[in-house]
Amino acid sequence: MNDLTEDKARSAIAAILRYGSLISTLVMALGLVLILLRGPVSVGSGAHLVSFRTLFPRVIRLDAAGIAELGMLLLLVTPILRIIVAGVTFGLERDYKYVLISLGVLAVVCGSIGLAMR
Amino acid sequence: MDLTWLHLCALVVLGAVAGGIGSLTGIGGGLIITPILTLVFGVPIHQAIGTSLCCVIATSSGAAASYVEHRLSDIRLGMTLELTTTLGAVTGSLVAALLSREALAILFAVFLSYAGSTMARRSFRAEAMETGGMEPYQVKRLPLGLCGSGAAGIISGMLGVGGGIIKVPLMYLAMGVPFKVATATSNFMIGVTAAASAFIYYSRGDVWPLITAPTAVGVYLGAALGARLMRRTPSRWLIVLFSFIMFYFAVIMIWKSFHGGFAR
Repeated sequence: MNDLTEDKARSAIAAILRYGSLISTLVMALGLVLILLRGPVSVGSGAHLVSFRTLFPRVIRLDAAGIAELGMLLLLVTPILRIIVAGVTFGLERDYKYVLISLGVLAVVCGSIGLAMR
Repeated sequence: MDLTWLHLCALVVLGAVAGGIGSLTGIGGGLIITPILTLVFGVPIHQAIGTSLCCVIATSSGAAASYVEHRLSDIRLGMTLELTTTLGAVTGSLVAALLSREALAILFAVFLSYAGSTMARRSFRAEAMETGGMEPYQVKRLPLGLCGSGAAGIISGMLGVGGGIIKVPLMYLAMGVPFKVATATSNFMIGVTAAASAFIYYSRGDVWPLITAPTAVGVYLGAALGARLMRRTPSRWLIVLFSFIMFYFAVIMIWKSFHGGFAR
């Protein structure tokens, strides 16, 4: 793979990193602003992946805490994107050893999500 | 505890400080956030760690973009080391659930002390490291690196830190990686490590969105501003001051553990 494609791939990874974190931060900030505009909310409760089902209905209803939580989940997801993009880049470079390694890391992280959902 | 403007701003500021220091030194996100959340905001330590992990992801994502663009991160090496780091992170996060608050606080304090002393010692060699060029290098001792990364992963998953304090010396001193590359690679990868354990904390209810969101927003801002405002690395005396602060936190956390400060 020539240098130009590699540069493009690097820029792509960097762009995904930048926009991924930016978007998740904006969503979190939006949720927080909504909370403050509507009055204080008790912090106490934690969040569970089990409540994923209720998450999207809450977001659509503009439930502020739901939006903040969505932003947080987006943040958690950005490193996974990072792995995938890196793996794809290695594939484009025909560096299959590292495609496998990336898949391995992805498997561990997905495994942890699986554990979490149990 | 109700989330008011005051709390929100305080958390954003906390995040900004942590993000700023983290992006400049490569260290410090989790090491600042967890003690302050626990000691000042009264957040139980398991939940503080959950928040801290998410903030590590925020720090990593912000700075990683420019490192990748400038070709500083050795993504291949980082991804390889992540095989063991992520496994360690999952393990660490599971172990953390089994530990009492006091035990976790003491472990955290021990790690804080180690980190503080490492930073103090390192600050005096910082100038030497900065002048390293981009000579081609050969990665050595990969098996050792994998083991060390596994340990870094366990600590990350258990204490909510990025692990850079272990990984950077590991790569730089033991594996023959130039210092700047080691820092950039570590920064690029700690987000992955944190994500491996963050989901587990999230599912346990150990990530409070209303604490995490403002802090993470702060971290993002702090990391972005920090990189822009200070082109040069911070002076060595700032770093020494920082390590004293960490020792101070360590002492307080140990003291609190023994005096029932973390009781439910």
